[in-house]
Amino acid sequence: MSATSHAHDEAGQAPLVGSLGVDSRKLGLWAFIGSETLFFTALITTHLIFYARTKATLAASGMLAHLDPKHYLGINLTTVLAAILLASSLTMVLALAASKSKEWAKFRFWLLATIILGSSFVLGQAYEFTHLYHEGLKLAPQYVFEGETVKSLFGVTFFVMTGFHGLHVTLGVVWLIAVYFKVRRFAASPENPMDVELVGLYWHFVDLVWVAIFTLVYLI
Amino acid sequence: MAEHATHDQHAEAHESHGTGFYWMVGGVLAVITAIEVAIFLVKDAIGHELFLAILFLLSIAKGVGVVMYFMHLRGDARIFQLVFIVPFTLAVTLCLGFLTIFSHHVGIAG
Repeated sequence: MSATSHAHDEAGQAPLVGSLGVDSRKLGLWAFIGSETLFFTALITTHLIFYARTKATLAASGMLAHLDPKHYLGINLTTVLAAILLASSLTMVLALAASKSKEWAKFRFWLLATIILGSSFVLGQAYEFTHLYHEGLKLAPQYVFEGETVKSLFGVTFFVMTGFHGLHVTLGVVWLIAVYFKVRRFAASPENPMDVELVGLYWHFVDLVWVAIFTLVYLI
Repeated sequence: MAEHATHDQHAEAHESHGTGFYWMVGGVLAVITAIEVAIFLVKDAIGHELFLAILFLLSIAKGVGVVMYFMHLRGDARIFQLVFIVPFTLAVTLCLGFLTIFSHHVGIAG
C-alpha cells in the first residue's frame, strides 16, 4: 500500500493502481484493445473469405470491375486516408509528450491537430462510401446492378468492416474533443496525463486497424 | 509481491522519448507507407508472391512501430504486453486457420 502511495506521489497520478501494480484504467483499456483486436480480425477474415469466394464468379460475369473498390476508386483516396491517420498518430503522441511535460499550449495545438486529422479521415471515408454506393456497391447480399441480379456478400462485409472502423474513429474524435475541453477546464488536474494517455492508446489502435485494412483489403 | 509491484510501477512509467524521436518514427512509418504504395503500383512487374511477401513485411514493420513506440508497449508493464499479445496471437492464428479452412485450394470451398 505504501509502495502504491509512493508511486502516486512521484507520478502525480490519481490513486487507481490495483493489486497488479499498474493503473487499472490503463489495464482495462489494454484489455479492451485486446478484445477489439479479435473483433476486427473476425470482420477482416470474413471479408477476405467472401472476397476470395466471390471474386472468380464476379470476374467471370464481368462484374468484378464494378464491385471491387480499388478497380474504380484506385488507391489514391485510401492512401491519403492512411497518411491522414498516420499523421494523427504522430500528433497524438506529441500531444501526450506535451501533456507529460505540462506544456499545455503545445498540448492543445497537437490535440487539436489530431481532432482535425481524425475528422478529415471520417469525412474522407464518408465520401468513399457515398462514391462506392453510387457506383453500385451495396450493403445487401443481393441487388440489381445494370439490370443484372448480383449475389455477393462482398458489399456487406466491406461496408460492415470499414464502417465499424469509421465508427471507432468517430468515437475516438468525440473522446479527443472531450479530453481537450476537460484538460482546458481543469488544467491543474493530476489525472490529465493519464486521460491523454488513455485516449492516445485508443487512437493509436484505430490507426493500427487501418494499417491492417489498408494492406489486406485495399492493396492485396 | 511488493518487489514485483514496484517493478511494474517503474515499467509503467515506460521509456520516455523526446519529440524528435517521435518525428523520426513518424517519418519512417510514412516512408514505409510510400514504399507499400510504390510496390502496389509495380506489383505486376515483381510477381504476386514477392509482392505479398514484401507487403506483409512492411505492414508488420509499420504495426510494430505503432505498437512499440507510439503506444509505448516496448518497456511498459508486462501485464499490458500480455493482455494485448495473447489476443493478438489468437486472432492471427484464427485468421490463418479460417482462411485455410475456406481456401479454394485445400479447404472446404475447394
